[in-house]
Amino acid sequence: MKKKVLSMLLASAMVLSLAACGGSGSAAPASDAGGTDAAAAEEAPAEEAAAEEAPAEEAAADTAAPASGGGSITINIWDSNQQPGLQQIVDEWSKESGVSAKIEVVDWDNYWTLLEAGASGGTMPDVFWMHSNTVQMYMENDILLKLNDYIDKDDTIDMSKYYEGIVNLYTRSDGNIYAIPKDHDTIALLYNKAIFDQYGVECPTDEWTWEDVYEAAAKITEASGGEVYGYAMNTSNNQDGWYNLVYDYGAQIINDTHDGTSIGSAEGKAGMEMVRKILTVAAPQSVVAETGTDSLFQSGKVAMITQGSWMINSFYTAENHADYYWALLPYADVNGNGTCDDGERYSAYNGLGWAASAATANPDACYSLISYLCSEEGQKKQAELGITMAGMEGVSDAFANAFDGMDVSAFVKIEDYRLFFRPYTRKTTVWEDALQQQGGFLDPWQNPEDPALMEQACDNAQKIIEDAIAAE
Amino acid sequence: MSEKKKKGMTAAEKRTAYWAWAFVAPTIIGLIVLNFYPAINTVWQSLCKTGDFGRGNTFVGFANYAKVLSAGETWQSLWNTIKYALIEVPFGVVIALILAVFLNQKLKGTSVFRTIFFLPMVCAPAAVAMVWKWLYNQQFGLLNNIFHTNVAWISNPKIAWISIAIIGVWSVIGYNMVLFISGLQEIPGDYYEAASIDGANGVRQFLSITVPLLSPTTFFIVQTRLIGALTVFDLMFMVMDKTNLALQKTQSIVYLFYTYAFTNGNKGYGATLVMVLVVFIMIVTFIMQKAEKKFVYYN
Repeated sequence: MKKKVLSMLLASAMVLSLAACGGSGSAAPASDAGGTDAAAAEEAPAEEAAAEEAPAEEAAADTAAPASGGGSITINIWDSNQQPGLQQIVDEWSKESGVSAKIEVVDWDNYWTLLEAGASGGTMPDVFWMHSNTVQMYMENDILLKLNDYIDKDDTIDMSKYYEGIVNLYTRSDGNIYAIPKDHDTIALLYNKAIFDQYGVECPTDEWTWEDVYEAAAKITEASGGEVYGYAMNTSNNQDGWYNLVYDYGAQIINDTHDGTSIGSAEGKAGMEMVRKILTVAAPQSVVAETGTDSLFQSGKVAMITQGSWMINSFYTAENHADYYWALLPYADVNGNGTCDDGERYSAYNGLGWAASAATANPDACYSLISYLCSEEGQKKQAELGITMAGMEGVSDAFANAFDGMDVSAFVKIEDYRLFFRPYTRKTTVWEDALQQQGGFLDPWQNPEDPALMEQACDNAQKIIEDAIAAE
Repeated sequence: MSEKKKKGMTAAEKRTAYWAWAFVAPTIIGLIVLNFYPAINTVWQSLCKTGDFGRGNTFVGFANYAKVLSAGETWQSLWNTIKYALIEVPFGVVIALILAVFLNQKLKGTSVFRTIFFLPMVCAPAAVAMVWKWLYNQQFGLLNNIFHTNVAWISNPKIAWISIAIIGVWSVIGYNMVLFISGLQEIPGDYYEAASIDGANGVRQFLSITVPLLSPTTFFIVQTRLIGALTVFDLMFMVMDKTNLALQKTQSIVYLFYTYAFTNGNKGYGATLVMVLVVFIMIVTFIMQKAEKKFVYYN
């Protein structure tokens, strides 16, 4: 008797686990990873049928006017720093339109997993952020609501007023527009003045080169006996880290036509050689892999990091924020004349876009919200509240004053120099992740004393990117 | 149900049959929709070059299999998974068995201890992994602070896989222990009495009575935990950062599947990895079933 019960238990357990393992291809990890947010995203638009009956073009007839009252839409973003400010703007829109809207935050890694699962299964949020990593895939498959007809009828949106790189990003080759620029971001050098004072090292200025960064970092790391590191950068700090050096030295991660790279060129290697040099006096890779560079900086273990404007709030609200200062991103004095010439100082910039789901039940309300957020008024408000700099050109000045007691003008000043758009291809994450890991730049990061390793990694990177593009 | 049989049914029998179908229908539909369809679809996807968002799959035969089987990382991940199972299953079973024997005695406070040991089972695996990640942290972690060491518990490729497996052992002990306790309670007390009269000491009793009579339970635990360990994902996913040097030496095959299928959006390749794992688990299960006949005593 006992044997029967046990063997039945065994059999059913096996069937279950086998089936669960096979089935995970479509369901399990997605919901695993998302946790509670997964549930929220799946609840999104219930009335798919209604959406199918209302193609975008037809519905476009009576746009701009706020969607007729009632109803609700869901919004997904990945940055919890921006949630309170954005919710404030969205609430104002809700008051005008009578449509309630709630912002759900899903962290960056799971955001894309969930969004893709939602797009495949037909349960996407109504309005959400788009990013250069993935937008091409979404545009090609008509997952996003086409906005051209809405924009044509809307007086408050003029696409020529936004940053060109961002507009291009969200425009398909056939001219269809799938997202309106939400913001743009730049990079600056962040330093902890208390540490510089403690070890008697001069603070960074706007005239610093990467060589100066190296020297200061070396002094601090040495003087503290390894207690405090002068600098910290992980392989994952690409847009806010080593990408910028590659461009400063004259190479490109992804070329202008998005079908190649020059990371393996002499210029690319020169840029990464500078990165290597700085790494020899920075926090070791094993340290930054376990504790993020931001956390290290905020716990007073690191004197300098580079960070993007989207992260200001996290440092502004930190415990020791009075010690934190932003300086212009350093440049590379390639020709050695002691001044920053054209093309020697680059900052990556990127811009998110507000997009809507093509399958939304309420496309009018979705566009109305996007239009509200991206209009000059909405963009100014976003900068004033210190959420991010605007996606519209020339309205970000208020951003520099949004943080009382913290000077963030470095992010606005960098625009007088060169900006390069965050490198992307059709499937950016494939090569971006590979570059961060073993076989990519992780090996020289692990062992920065050896210049040959970094050179080898540049050649590997060249191949990784080329192979990834070929497989797209 | 064949046509012939139906004809021979009385009205009452038919009614019973309908009701029977109606009652099992929810389970059958659930199994088909949630288990069988995805499983078959996974097999299909493993034979395809999958398009974005599940559209435009093109049949490519065994091309994915050729790529997966010739990739070094597949075998490294499979080996990582096996190494994890080799620690989690034996230690999880032995420690749980010892605890169960102690907690099966009529002493004061056993229920308190049972609850304490069972607690890890009640915690969300992701939360458990987060807490352990901080315990292991090289700079600020509790472990290094208490022992005044500077060990890179989760960044050193040589020991990271052990650190991960320790979390696994810690998580399953409670569950295994409860199963063992219920198994222990089914062993008649007379055996022990008889053994005591014959002069057998505690250890001897444990080895000659408890272990053999408990073998059905032990087998059940080993079998289910082995399958559980071979499909481990959440521990590596939560504890290991993408830029961690030890990642390649610790990532399980399901983690590799997640990377390909969800991060890189290559569902076909991911499905193939899962198929490899399924076949591997089938082989392991087959061997276990053979072993059952040899090592398990049913009274």
